[in-house]
Amino acid sequence: MMSAMHTSEETKTALHAVVEEMYDKIVKGEPPTMTLPVRTKNNIGFDSKLGVYKYGKKRSTRDATSLGSAKQLLRALHVVEFIEEMIDAGKSSTLREMYYISEAWGLGKFSSQNESNNLAEDLEVVTKCMREDFKLRPEEDGARMIGNLTLRERNRRGEWMRINARDDVGDSGYGVPYNVEEEKIELLEHDINFIMAIETGGMFDRLIENGFDEDYKCGLLHLKGQPARSTRRIMKRMSEEWDLPVVVFLDGDPWSFRIFASIAYGAIKTAHISEYLATPSATYLGITADDIEAYDLPSDDLSTRDVDALKAELSDPRFADPWWQEQINMMLELGKKAEQQSLAKYGLDFVTDTYLPEKLADLGLA
Amino acid sequence: MAGTAERMASNQKQVAISEFFEKNKHFLGFDSLPRSLITAVKEAVDNSLDACEEARILPEIKIQITKLDGKKDIIELRSEDNGPGIPKKSIEKVFGQLLFGSRFHAIRQSRGQQGIGITGVVMYCQLTTGRKTHVRSKIATETSAAIVDIGLDTRKNKATKSGEGRELWELPDGTLKEHGLEITAQMKAKYQRGRQSVYQYLRMTSIVNPHADITFIDPDGETHHWPRVTERLPRKVESIKPHPHGIHLGTLQRMCTESTDSRMTVFLRNNFSGVSSRAAKELLAAAEIEEKAKPKLLKADHYRALLEAFQGERMLNNKPVKLLNPPTNCLSPIEELLIKKGLSKTIDSRYVTTMTRAPTVTQGNPYQVEVGLIFGDGMAADKPVEVLRFANRVPLMYQQGGCLLTKAIESVDWRQYGLDQAGGRGVPKGPAAILVHLASTNVQFTSEAKEALADNAEVIDEVRKALLEMGRGLRKHLEKKKKMAKTQDKFELVNDIIPAIAEKAAAILDRPVPNLSGSITRIMGAVISEATTVWNKETKQTDVTITLFNYTTRARSYTLLASWPERAGATMVKNEQGGRKEASGVWAWKLDTLEPGQTITFTYSLTGLERGDWTDTDLFYRGSQEVIGASKMDEKLLEEIRRQEAAANGEDEPADDEPVDDGEEAEPTAAQGSEINADPPAKTGQQTLMGFGGDE
Repeated sequence: MMSAMHTSEETKTALHAVVEEMYDKIVKGEPPTMTLPVRTKNNIGFDSKLGVYKYGKKRSTRDATSLGSAKQLLRALHVVEFIEEMIDAGKSSTLREMYYISEAWGLGKFSSQNESNNLAEDLEVVTKCMREDFKLRPEEDGARMIGNLTLRERNRRGEWMRINARDDVGDSGYGVPYNVEEEKIELLEHDINFIMAIETGGMFDRLIENGFDEDYKCGLLHLKGQPARSTRRIMKRMSEEWDLPVVVFLDGDPWSFRIFASIAYGAIKTAHISEYLATPSATYLGITADDIEAYDLPSDDLSTRDVDALKAELSDPRFADPWWQEQINMMLELGKKAEQQSLAKYGLDFVTDTYLPEKLADLGLA
Repeated sequence: MAGTAERMASNQKQVAISEFFEKNKHFLGFDSLPRSLITAVKEAVDNSLDACEEARILPEIKIQITKLDGKKDIIELRSEDNGPGIPKKSIEKVFGQLLFGSRFHAIRQSRGQQGIGITGVVMYCQLTTGRKTHVRSKIATETSAAIVDIGLDTRKNKATKSGEGRELWELPDGTLKEHGLEITAQMKAKYQRGRQSVYQYLRMTSIVNPHADITFIDPDGETHHWPRVTERLPRKVESIKPHPHGIHLGTLQRMCTESTDSRMTVFLRNNFSGVSSRAAKELLAAAEIEEKAKPKLLKADHYRALLEAFQGERMLNNKPVKLLNPPTNCLSPIEELLIKKGLSKTIDSRYVTTMTRAPTVTQGNPYQVEVGLIFGDGMAADKPVEVLRFANRVPLMYQQGGCLLTKAIESVDWRQYGLDQAGGRGVPKGPAAILVHLASTNVQFTSEAKEALADNAEVIDEVRKALLEMGRGLRKHLEKKKKMAKTQDKFELVNDIIPAIAEKAAAILDRPVPNLSGSITRIMGAVISEATTVWNKETKQTDVTITLFNYTTRARSYTLLASWPERAGATMVKNEQGGRKEASGVWAWKLDTLEPGQTITFTYSLTGLERGDWTDTDLFYRGSQEVIGASKMDEKLLEEIRRQEAAANGEDEPADDEPVDDGEEAEPTAAQGSEINADPPAKTGQQTLMGFGGDE
């Protein structure tokens, strides 16, 4: 298993390279610049070696010839300095805290939180380091997890704690921290056959109440909508280190398809670290477009936004394979979408007694 | 003529006056409780302003509104002025008789144009509260003031009075009031805030009466003060005789029958404006009336024929008889600089432009259009602009949509001038207020309510022309502002951000701070100028600082020129860099070399100006490389200025043709020209003070 993290020295060196680019330009009598990959759908491509989608070769240069981009460069320098200070002091901060700290940066202060989030991502992309290397934490919390699996987490006193995610936790499960790298989390042992990632809290709780994790020997992971980085990262680690299949159980709508794409192939915004976050072996379990008809699920009409999203997905390289093209086109034809919890039409146990066993049997997991 | 008012008043008498009032209260402005209060204030203020104007006194007006009984909506209005006062024996006439007043029949610009005025207030008070109106009047020749309570006998259309007496009018500081009038009236009315309020009415009044000092104490006891911004009284308005183009058949008939002139030629010349003796003869020939005919003895057919000749329908040798225009000195425009001061006083903003058109004539009535526009911060950007309408210096507050002045504003496509306007029609949106003032001897309203001006294609066109010209000024201002913002950005970039980047980068890498000049030159690649014009409170001077930066890799040489208000009577002082006068209002400095990276600063101060007179200095240059922030000097324009100057020095009248002003003015230089060439105010010609200061 390769490590996603860099050492403090590696991180600093990478950040210094960004600063050097600006410094050297000034010495040469040119406007300072910052060069970074273009971060849009048009610049991601499949990396067959890694099995995930990564940024392509398109690069853009931000130069200090306009006030706006010059301020961006100055902010980047302040952020670099701030990160170095945190590394040296052994601290971390949230992105939001950094935004407020920038109040003291004078000309280099951020005018919106969006700006500071984007800049942190810019620096990740340029330096190939991770946010965790920069000691920057997101606001969003990680997932919840339940099942017979055991891991070690280093708590804030620096002590390792052994936690079984079935026996040592309450009904809400084990809370995944923002940093799930090896310095923080070690995966010890398990007695499960697969991991199931679930979109909604309602469905997660339904499966727990019905004892699905024990009956089918699986780990359940609550994604909380579009999954946070740490959620995707721990899924990836469990899948690789324990060699477990990952199945993904989402609503049946265009936005769920996108969630799956970011889990399996990598998200466009984080394509620079796709190899650390994406789980290429993950399988989409449902709700599929054909489930809506096959199970005669209560459904809603697609909105125009839904239709536009589906059409955009047809041209997204991550959905290029025939199965996805068929699913997307089928949903467009049906003009319908359905939620996970619509399965309750047939009773509270239908999902655990009938639907999931049938779907898992197709995959050879039940 | 003196009999007209009385006769008309006596005609009215035949209807019970109170019934007449009740029936017509919407015309008279008493149709709702909030409006009644505004009308009452309006009548009082109009009277005060007119009286002061006639007596050549700078008006000081105080209005106080007190709520006496909130539940029953009883309000007391107190209005005080420093006018000449009214002699005791005239008080009841002024306050107690409908349609009294010298203003009614004289043809000249006046505020009320009808005598209903203050009598209406007296009647309204009596009808709604049963109270009489208390009047205190002091004239300069008497030591004490006359006091009287005036009511109205509605059947006899006569004043009833009580409580007559005399008293010493003592002022709060213990001295005696020299002259003035005070009215205290109690009425059923409602005090409101907003667009149609006493506050708004007084605010608008103060804009168009910059010579007046107005104080308002509202029912909450809060004092609002609009100070006087000029000591100059409005020009005395001259009465004029009617013009043949504006006469009606009935009036003509009456004038003839009342005439004692011996023959028609004399009658026409004596009683009409714009009729020369040649024209009189031609009119009579066209109408087939004998020159010797006695006006008194004219027949009904003759009146009609004469009227047709007046209107060019009956022609002489297939041509209408040519008449001179009526004199226009009977009008009293506010004039651009004063509108500007008035606007700046009540709306705190950054850009003001005004425009007074030359007086002209429609249907025999002289009229003159003035417009003003104020633009900038502090006003809502997403709401329709505030429309400030005035007729003969009287604010129009109701029926905005049906008014000619509004229609003229709506007919302009404001989008091309930088304001939002859906589909290029309607009242535009933006942080602005547009003022339109129509001064005329005969303002045509849509109704007796006198709140909206009636359609007249010629007048609309005249207003439109003024607005278009003003709009061009606004566009130029906005373009200039945009350019300045860009320049400001560049300055911030090279003066602040690039040095900060260099320092921060050096600190992180622990290396020396690199030299920046190369990067800065690459980023700017231009010569940049900047001029600031600020009022210095201490010295009472306008301080100008001009800076020129060479951000190129080569040495440059230029002549830099700046506009300054020489014609407005300013003097340039503390100009240590010297330079020379290039033309009237244009100063020049020659720079042999401006090294790469070099900065040169010129400073001087202007005396003889007031605050706000000069707020924007325009820069020009001569030289091969462009200077950002300045315009290339238009040599032809300079020639024109010199030629005009020579002409002005040679004779009294300034050169008759206008400076470069092709009506397009897309070129900033052309526009500057018209500013530099601006004639001194108060001449009859078209004046273009556009951009005569504006930005600060």
